[in-house]
Amino acid sequence: MQRYLNLYGAFLGQQFKSYAEYRANFIIGASSTIMMQAANLLTVWVVMQQIPDFNGWGFSELLLIYGLITLSKSINHMFADNLWTVGRVYIRSGQFDRFLVRPIDPLFHLIADRFCYDGVGNFLVGVVLLGAALAGLDLAWTPLVPLYILLAVLSGGGIFIALNLITCVTSFWIMDSVPVTRAIFDNHLFAQYPLTIYPKAVTTLLTWLIPYGFASFYPASYLLGHDVGVYAWAGPVVAAVLLFAGYRFWQFGLRHYSGTGS
Amino acid sequence: MPAIEVENLRKVFYISKKDPGLAGAVKALFRPRFDEKVAVDGISLRVEPGEMVGYIGVNGAGKSTTIKMLTGVLVPTGGTVRVLGRDPHRDRVANARDVGVVFGQRSQMWWDLALVESLNLIAKIYEIPAARYRELLDEFAATLELNELLSVPIRNMSLGQKMRAELAATLIHEPKVVYLDEPTIGLDLIVKERIRDFIKEQNRTRGTTVILTTHDLGDIEELCQRVIIIDAGHIIFDGPISTIKDRFGKYREITFEVAAGAARLELPAGADVIAAEPRTLALRFDRTQTTASQVAAAVMSQVDVRDFSLAEPDLSAIVKQIYNGALQEEAAA
Repeated sequence: MQRYLNLYGAFLGQQFKSYAEYRANFIIGASSTIMMQAANLLTVWVVMQQIPDFNGWGFSELLLIYGLITLSKSINHMFADNLWTVGRVYIRSGQFDRFLVRPIDPLFHLIADRFCYDGVGNFLVGVVLLGAALAGLDLAWTPLVPLYILLAVLSGGGIFIALNLITCVTSFWIMDSVPVTRAIFDNHLFAQYPLTIYPKAVTTLLTWLIPYGFASFYPASYLLGHDVGVYAWAGPVVAAVLLFAGYRFWQFGLRHYSGTGS
Repeated sequence: MPAIEVENLRKVFYISKKDPGLAGAVKALFRPRFDEKVAVDGISLRVEPGEMVGYIGVNGAGKSTTIKMLTGVLVPTGGTVRVLGRDPHRDRVANARDVGVVFGQRSQMWWDLALVESLNLIAKIYEIPAARYRELLDEFAATLELNELLSVPIRNMSLGQKMRAELAATLIHEPKVVYLDEPTIGLDLIVKERIRDFIKEQNRTRGTTVILTTHDLGDIEELCQRVIIIDAGHIIFDGPISTIKDRFGKYREITFEVAAGAARLELPAGADVIAAEPRTLALRFDRTQTTASQVAAAVMSQVDVRDFSLAEPDLSAIVKQIYNGALQEEAAA
């Protein structure tokens, strides 16, 4: 574990050097995510100006949900963005083979091979959103609150990573897994809003099948003092189970990897 | 313990079968059908530590597939692979510490990083002790002439520079077994020579086992005592280079310098004229049917010969014959 952390640091340091050569790229990447987020947010804000009460949720409460999921997503974006393109970039070109002849876990190698600086923009937006939400809310602050938020964001990040991992494994068979990953990933858009606004089927979907609800709605509800029962604490368990399943599925896929021609 | 032990190794690929056009693509989506392609069909071989073996065959013969199974990249469909006693796929990490791979034309380094940065990262991945790494870096920089290249990003290197850098990156953790897939492809003669020398040196000083796939038989002649030829997934020859020349160098060439060409020559069976010019006459003969002296005697009795020379069979010509099926003829005869 210690070894992998050190290695991750080494990978990160080297990438920083190569990114430094493309400074404009970095700035454009990070600021474009900030701009995209700003546009999304503006939409929410405009809507809320018209309807201050959204199915019983106030603006700051919505912001809390939105902030939590943005932070969770940014963790995936920063640390595991290569899961998106493993097929397109690594498998199709044959570059994936080199991960398989190195004395480290190939999944770790894949993930460490790229820290996505664009995600930093998302992360900053998430911090601002969360800050604004907390400022607008009247929460009872105990030391538990920041710890709970940290745990919620980390497990939300784990859920995002795990779902992308599971879907990216399909690239061992179909080369380009982006459409599959996107089909699942896009469901997180539902989870940017309170799950109570949806029909039961959608709520069930986001709780049991594609559980992005644990990256936003459930922890936000708990923080706001709504009773969501064990769901308030289920996030870490959901993340752990999904990550474990994802890793096993990845190993299964790896055994079926057939590479490219030469 | 042998360095590599392969028993009855097979690899079958399943390739989805599509009818042409959009309709075909849609049909394949709903009712996928697969073709079996047997890339490697039951090969067995054994390589001792310190051997340098040339692994050759035409494109699509199964060379790369074999190498990928030996390195643990692909899982065999059947049979067993042992590299230094380990199963390279199951024991991936332990295996990777002891082997090095140059994959033909794709780099194992980071495109945007200076060479020395890529090497530093590789040293960390392989956990090479810092002092040892320094030593090796100095040694490789000297033997591969990398000193001025250390600060250059890989993307700015020429093909020859890239390959020298690649060899350093592959051997910096002192692997016991090295697979070189087309290490000299597209390189000029001087770089080729330097790379061959470097490989030879590694083998001599460290006892590195080398498996070399190449289309350049010069590499094989320079480096390998032993050649394995694969065709359509089967090993069709495994033995010393000299044996290939003896057994399969069926045809030899003899060239005469003549005062004047003869209109028609009576030649022993198995001999043919391959080129007739005013002052030279080149013949090819099958040495299973006749001998150089019979051919020479026949020619000299009919033409005024000033000089003649007998060409040694050249490996690439022989291998071409083998690829073209000379081997099967040989076996049938």
